[in-house]
Amino acid sequence: MSEFSDRQNIPYHLLSDLDSAVIRQYGILNDSIEPGDVFLYGIPYPGVYMCDEEGVVISKSFHDTYKKRDSADLLLDAALGRVVVNESSPQAKGGDDEVAIHVAVHGGDGSIRQGIVRQLVIRFEPGDGLHLYGEPVPEGMRALTVNASGPPGLVFQEPRFPETESLYLAAMDLTLQVWKGAFEITVPFYPVGELASETRPLDQGSVDISVDIQYQACDDETCRLPKSESFQFELPLDVIDVPNIDVHTGHGQREGAYDGTPHLRRLFLRKLKEHPLGFIRYLFKHVRLMRASKRRAKESNRQMNVHDD
Amino acid sequence: MVVERDELGFDAPAPLGHPARLGLPEGQSTGPEVGERLPDFVLPDQNGNPISFHEHRAGKRAVLVFYRSAVW
Repeated sequence: MSEFSDRQNIPYHLLSDLDSAVIRQYGILNDSIEPGDVFLYGIPYPGVYMCDEEGVVISKSFHDTYKKRDSADLLLDAALGRVVVNESSPQAKGGDDEVAIHVAVHGGDGSIRQGIVRQLVIRFEPGDGLHLYGEPVPEGMRALTVNASGPPGLVFQEPRFPETESLYLAAMDLTLQVWKGAFEITVPFYPVGELASETRPLDQGSVDISVDIQYQACDDETCRLPKSESFQFELPLDVIDVPNIDVHTGHGQREGAYDGTPHLRRLFLRKLKEHPLGFIRYLFKHVRLMRASKRRAKESNRQMNVHDD
Repeated sequence: MVVERDELGFDAPAPLGHPARLGLPEGQSTGPEVGERLPDFVLPDQNGNPISFHEHRAGKRAVLVFYRSAVW
């Protein structure tokens, strides 16, 4: 690990929880893995905690699958309680003299890799006295909407809007939900295997995404015309670098210079020594699951051929 | 190698149904909640030095990541 962290220039501590003592203490031992699965038993449900100066959790992030992970930039935002977009992130300005709009792709400078969550950050700055509407609005008025789209395999989650405040319009005897002053809307997004998978070479070097925004600005007297605006970004796909291990292919598109074989050999030997029977059972299970996988692949190929006929 | 895609759309080298691919079960607790203090612990770092979590933070904020596997 010392060699690994030197090679990868890791400036933070890598802690070893060899017997999963802290993982159990935290209550995040992956107990859907049986103790018999000797290579995996003891792993945690992966996740991240951010704590304040007192050590109290201010934010945490656990996803439904280990494949999905937050960008480091998003974790830092959560820890510090604000969004800071790097200057190097893809970004664009829009809007007009009355409402300024700034759209940025936040996290990893907008690069795309399977399961890593980035975020669109859409900042509105309405001029003095102006407000924008949240849903619901009466017929003829336009609430603020954000629609992001991209290639198949790029998953955009629901936009996250900040809280609105209530505004009573006496002339219409109506209470509406509005945003005043500068505010930000975020849209988390991540690619799945259809677009970017570490198990095969990338099909393309970049993808195009579009962010379509509709809104209407009003002051307490009058409304401006509804507006729509569209922003386009070209985002690069990341090549995933992994240590070089002969028996462990398919975990990256580029095998790095670091040789992970000695570590894997030590792990094998330790598991074999500690749990000789479990080791053998694990291998049998592995082979059985691989065979089932091959059967499914054959079956689906056969069905495709039938359709072709 | 056959690569199978799971129901969330992700690819991995291990076959479907392999324990390596299991996700977070519904209703599974994910440890200390927002507002609770992180339990203290001492673990060795990559150079073998024991790190006492809260002492090491020295009154600063920290990000604590639990990672499920790595190939060093």
